Amino acid sequence: MSSGDAEQPLPKVALVGHPNVGKTTLFNQLTGARKKVGNYPGVTVEKVSATLFTPHGHEFELVDLPGSYSLTPNSPDEAVTRDVLLGDFEGEARPSLVICVVDASSLERHLYFALQVMDLGLPVVLALNQVDRAEEVGIRLNRQVLADLLEIPVVACQATSGKGVVQLKQAMRFPMPPPPIRKWKAPGLVESQLAQLTKDLRELEVSRPEVHAIHLLADSSYRVEQQPYLPLMAQIKAREAAAACIKKGMAPEDAIQKERFLTIRRACRAATHDAGPHRESLSDKLDKYVLHPVLGWVFFAAIMFLIFWSIFRFASYPMDFVENLVTAAQNLVATPMPDGDLEDLIVEGIIGGVGSVLIFLPQIALLFLFIGLLEGSGYMARAAFLMDKIMGRAGLTGKSFLPLLSGYACAIPGVMATRTINSAKERLLTILILPWMSCSARLPVYLLLIPLLVAGTFAQTMMMFLLYALGTGGALFAAWLLGKRIGRAEPPPHFLIELPPYRLPDLGYVGRHVLDRSLAFLKKAGTVILGISILLWALAAFPKAPSGSEAEQFSYSLMGRLGEAIAPAVAPLGWDGRLGTAMLTSFAAREVFVSSMAISYAIDEDEAGDDEDVRRKLREKITAAKRSDGSPLYTPLVIFSLLVFYVYALQCLPTTVVVHRETQSWAWAVGQLAGMSVFAYVAAFIVFQLGRLLGYT
Amino acid sequence: MAEALTAEPACDRNVTLSQAAIGCDLEVTDLEGPACRELREIGFCEQMRLRKLTNGRNLVCAVCGTRLALSRELAKQVRVAPVA
Repeated sequence: MSSGDAEQPLPKVALVGHPNVGKTTLFNQLTGARKKVGNYPGVTVEKVSATLFTPHGHEFELVDLPGSYSLTPNSPDEAVTRDVLLGDFEGEARPSLVICVVDASSLERHLYFALQVMDLGLPVVLALNQVDRAEEVGIRLNRQVLADLLEIPVVACQATSGKGVVQLKQAMRFPMPPPPIRKWKAPGLVESQLAQLTKDLRELEVSRPEVHAIHLLADSSYRVEQQPYLPLMAQIKAREAAAACIKKGMAPEDAIQKERFLTIRRACRAATHDAGPHRESLSDKLDKYVLHPVLGWVFFAAIMFLIFWSIFRFASYPMDFVENLVTAAQNLVATPMPDGDLEDLIVEGIIGGVGSVLIFLPQIALLFLFIGLLEGSGYMARAAFLMDKIMGRAGLTGKSFLPLLSGYACAIPGVMATRTINSAKERLLTILILPWMSCSARLPVYLLLIPLLVAGTFAQTMMMFLLYALGTGGALFAAWLLGKRIGRAEPPPHFLIELPPYRLPDLGYVGRHVLDRSLAFLKKAGTVILGISILLWALAAFPKAPSGSEAEQFSYSLMGRLGEAIAPAVAPLGWDGRLGTAMLTSFAAREVFVSSMAISYAIDEDEAGDDEDVRRKLREKITAAKRSDGSPLYTPLVIFSLLVFYVYALQCLPTTVVVHRETQSWAWAVGQLAGMSVFAYVAAFIVFQLGRLLGYT
Repeated sequence: MAEALTAEPACDRNVTLSQAAIGCDLEVTDLEGPACRELREIGFCEQMRLRKLTNGRNLVCAVCGTRLALSRELAKQVRVAPVA
């Protein structure tokens, strides 16, 4: 084989279907790839691909496209699916074959999308997923009749058990099946305009003129909104064709939609035997309680409390293990090395700095585990249902709650998950408030400071609950304020969501998700946090105090001087220079606050032979810290002011970068960073000053 | 008393989905309003059969074996009639 052959891109197979149809599970079954499986609509918001070999030995690239209800997109991620399938997505080759996944137990609902896909002029294979479930509810389906009617290969499968996966791989073979012929015929007027538009597009050298002509007539927004890959003249011609139909009382999009539904109904009548009226399922019974206006909230609060309580209760054992590892690593390096800057850099700067953040890995893993379980069980969509009323008061809908809830784990996937929101203004509002949902990177700060404020697991859990409520409440308040400024969405956003059946979460997938996120955290600790830790150590170690006294070193160092410079600015918050420095140094990543505190307090005290764990050690030092007048520095009021600051401050540069990417605007991204920083400062100021007025110190 | 025990939900003819009684098996007769295209695409198309499960600010319907939750404003755009 020549090298030129080797560079040929693999033929591409696209996997498409409704959100939550089991597309991602099927993707994993086909490729063996390990990918997160969620249970609420819109979990697939990024391009995911993998290579696979068919039983015939052919190699393909399988692409899992974002879930869509139709090719008339209602959200940015649905637009990605449409553009890739039309061959209009920049940098993405058009697929050679499309596998359209439909739910066999809900065929009539899913075939509309399948019929749109069949009009794209691409070879299509229909994957009838959930055949076992269809049989359970009494739906009898004749696969062969459906294949004959639609004139495409139809494969029955059950993605969760791997049933039908081999047959689906066998369907991916050369030569590809011919692209299906259009199965519907619009009224004469629309058909004639369609033929004329196809001719016009051909003359304008638009690729795939018939496919684009159908799409231009079937989707009014597609012919009005600017499309980068379509000449303006093509849209003008399409508008003229549509206007000719509308003039005679027939909107082409309505006529085409109607014909497609008639075709679906004929196919379903011929190929399926209806199960009869709806029978109450276990999910229906559970939803009576879970969606109940009162009990639903009790259930929601109980779940949240259980999550936070578990984070405090169960994480201590693995945390002790990580702490012991860090201390052992420090001793291992410190024992054979002579005292000096190099030993200090490795023991305090690198191992101490990174270790102080690494200790929180078990709690972060636990948080991701719980969020994975909630997604996998189908509860997430119910939480969105409940929250819709509250979100409505802030000018949002329950749909915004799904990305916001993901924000509890990490703001970045949360910001990306907003692509499922159809209203542009609601999406922007959600992105702007999302970093106020307390993410896992805030946990190290909370877990260091909360035990200094209250004792006992219950009180600590309640304090954690309060901090999360402060963040969420602040976010909704900000949405209400910002909504007035940027204007309400037109038309007003409405709530429409699928409630998937409850199911036992797939522990394998949830486990892999937790592992992926934990590895991402470790990578961050090994790169960003390591780099900042070394920088912080250098700031605290240089320049050297002329006396050589460790007690004088901190105030002589750059960090100490920075602290002195910033002290007046943070004094109204009750903080000293060290805290001000820790706040500044954690500007890029908030968990660096802990490393910064560890390095700042480790540098001026003799650590030799100390085998206590890092966190407890640090807490003891913080408790013992005094102001220049001898009064304790870390009073409960100061700690609360610190906590409030960290609830509201953005302090995560990757989030700012992602917000810029998603909003296509540096003004929104930088404005969010500045706005949240000012809000955090003002909130901490109010807490401290109000506390003092009330007589606290 | 016997009547109360065996009472079926009162399923009026030609009402909107927001007005229909809980527990009724219904058929979509018409869609009117700005969101009707989106409603059709998610499953509320003409002649589709459904059962209304809950009422409230957002209501839940079983459509084609799937539970869909939608706001009352959207439900007002869906006209339904009891299944014959």
